[in-house]
Amino acid sequence: MSAQLEIANLHKRFGGLVAVNDVSFTLRPGEVVGLLGPNGSGKTTVMNMISGALPSDGGRVRVGGVDITRMKPHRVARQGVARTFQLVRPLPTLSVAENVLLSLAFGRRRHWGREARDLAEEKLAFVGLAGRGEEQVGNLTYIDQKRLEMARALASEPELLLLDEWLAGLNPSELRIGIDLVQHLQGQGMTVLLVEHIMEAVRALCSRCIVMSAGEVIAEGESGEVLQRPAVIKAYLGDDHA
Amino acid sequence: MKVQTAFVLAAAALVVLALAPLFIPDYWTGVLLGMTGYVTLATAWAMFSGPTRYVSLATVAFFGVGAYTVAVLNEAMPYPLVLLCAAGIGMALALVVGLSTLRLAGVYFVIFTFGLAELVRQLVSWWEVNVTYTMGRYVFLPFEGRHIYWQLLALAAVTLLISWAIGRSRLGLALKAVGDDETVAAHAGVDVTRIKLLLFVISATIITLVGAIQAPRWTYIEPSIVFNPTVSFMTLIMALLGGAMRLWGPLVGAVPLFLLFEWLSVSFPDHFSIILGLLFILIVFVMPNGVLARLEDLRKGGRA
Ligand SMILES: Nc1ncnc2c1ncn2[C@@H]1O[C@H](COP(=O)(O)OP(=O)(O)OP(=O)(O)O)[C@@H](O)[C@H]1O
Ligand SMILES: [Mg+2]
Repeated sequence: MSAQLEIANLHKRFGGLVAVNDVSFTLRPGEVVGLLGPNGSGKTTVMNMISGALPSDGGRVRVGGVDITRMKPHRVARQGVARTFQLVRPLPTLSVAENVLLSLAFGRRRHWGREARDLAEEKLAFVGLAGRGEEQVGNLTYIDQKRLEMARALASEPELLLLDEWLAGLNPSELRIGIDLVQHLQGQGMTVLLVEHIMEAVRALCSRCIVMSAGEVIAEGESGEVLQRPAVIKAYLGDDHA
Repeated sequence: MKVQTAFVLAAAALVVLALAPLFIPDYWTGVLLGMTGYVTLATAWAMFSGPTRYVSLATVAFFGVGAYTVAVLNEAMPYPLVLLCAAGIGMALALVVGLSTLRLAGVYFVIFTFGLAELVRQLVSWWEVNVTYTMGRYVFLPFEGRHIYWQLLALAAVTLLISWAIGRSRLGLALKAVGDDETVAAHAGVDVTRIKLLLFVISATIITLVGAIQAPRWTYIEPSIVFNPTVSFMTLIMALLGGAMRLWGPLVGAVPLFLLFEWLSVSFPDHFSIILGLLFILIVFVMPNGVLARLEDLRKGGRA
């Protein structure tokens, strides 16, 4: 089976800092894979290079066999890649429904009109915002903004979803809801790259994990096993106890 | 209000406005003419700058190019063709300017567009002095005030119609998204550069046409008349006063401010620019989203 996401020898420098150094990994269709690592290890930078937000300094990114390495973000989106942002970024002059309509209108199938409105409501209902479309995003609680972030990503009808700490900052019951939601997507066959610090979520969702430290992949494999490797524990604890 | 009702009302208003010159003194036709010109300028300006929040001071660059094109070509070809040429030149200039500046953000864009207007004025002056050996040109077109007014009125109606159509289209949604957060818009699939360029060009073309249609009014044209930066500032203030994010906002701002400016420029010609500046500051601080938004807040009983 061909890979849904294939990253080969990705590099990124910020001035003198090597943020991503020779990172390679592959996601099969339908897989939910964790991308872990201490703060500043380069996870978001990898996502930015996949989604086209940042140009890479070297390496290749393929999605469903298509080379998207040099593509602008809007073309990557139309190629079937959607993302959420580590810090939620709702569009404040747009209503809740319009935030979602945007992705429907400019995503892969370019929906508009009545059909798009119905689909937007469907996406909102899926994330738990049924009937809230007319509200202003400024009035949403934090978890609802996270939900909206997800609905907007799903509305471009992606095959690959990049979630950058989408579960961070939720209380335990909200976390449960969030995990259920991602599991639901998994059931629908979505491929997900999940950047996450919450181990409970990683264990529940990811069959496989990739661990980064200081810009490099230091471990990769089945979640339960990888999280017990000394190198991984050291990377995390070293970050806390240095 | 239902769309149909709004259309009927707008059409009725248009008919009344079109018939007005037949019943009012020429002086008032002149006032209506100037007012319609600014309504069009402000609406066209807001089409791009409202949702994207790219504050452009290039208005007079396009306005002046339109007027100058008519001054240069009015004896060389039939009038409709002259207008077409003006639109084409405005469009081409907007493409070049858009491609080179729409990457600039915030205040850099403001400064660049202001500089652009000056640059165009200097270039035209230089060209006239050194290449064509003329300074100032005459426009000989058999138009009275009301003929110019009717053309402007038609252009204003078309501009409002375009603005309305964009507001309901996916293009309008994308523009608002771009104004909020370009990165998010791009990741949702919006080709941000293309959309900004497209709107900038549409807006600039209309502005060019306003200048072209108004040209016969001056009879005598020179760069300092048609490239007067006050036009850019007045357009901006009008759009901001009414609310640049709303279809009727620029119109609501342009009508009273035009009358006020008329009165001020006659009564206090020496202090006009100072008053303009003060008004600008007042509007930005008291009603950053415009009168219409303010009224809506009051009606909702909300605090501003
Ligand atoms: N645009 C940028 N310019 C300069 N340096 C950057 C930029 N983006 C990230 N960095 C740096 O690159 C390194 C990797 O950052 P990145 O955001 O990818 O880490 P991360 O793994 O996502 O961390 P976190 O868990 O805190 O989100 C950090 O040292 C960061 O300061
Ligand atoms: Mg990060």
